[in-house]
Amino acid sequence: MSLEERKKALRYLFGPVVDKLGYKFTPVEEDADFLLEQEALLEAETGIPYCPCQARTKDRAENMRIVCPCIPFHRAHYDAMKRCWCGLYVRKDVTDPDKLKQVPEERINAH
Amino acid sequence: MKKVTIYALSTCLWCRKSKKYFEENKVPFEAVDYDKQSEARQAEMMKEMKCAGCTGSFPFIKIGAACVQGYDPDEFEKLLKK
Repeated sequence: MSLEERKKALRYLFGPVVDKLGYKFTPVEEDADFLLEQEALLEAETGIPYCPCQARTKDRAENMRIVCPCIPFHRAHYDAMKRCWCGLYVRKDVTDPDKLKQVPEERINAH
Repeated sequence: MKKVTIYALSTCLWCRKSKKYFEENKVPFEAVDYDKQSEARQAEMMKEMKCAGCTGSFPFIKIGAACVQGYDPDEFEKLLKK
């Protein structure tokens, strides 16, 4: 399967999952394409489409929390940001993702 | 001018946008791609990030003595001006 085909497949697989979680792909198509490409490359390298913006560790259980779509593992954090950490998904009501901030989990938990 | 260091992942969109921000604002910086480092260096970087109260999410940016996790141009500007 080519990289482009795998990107389409990941989009097809993830779409219905995040839809049920109240999220959609970012309308910024350039960002969605870049992020899906990075995930397809990470999947080709590791066998798993990990989040492209979070580091893997030696702890498998911890790594499972950053397998895309990782929304369920970071629900309160992402709901507060109205997007996931890497920005591939935004809440369904978001129309201008560029206005959304990337806020660390600690700062959200502090409120 | 404050020293700026960006801990990044080569796969991360917001790490790229952060690098672009400092380039466009003509702020010299050092970028270290975590995923391209040795295991020992990765352990050092992760320890530093966790000591700063952060998780393993990128980008992690040091501006002088302060640090920022995530792409936040307003915060970058504030820290550069301090």
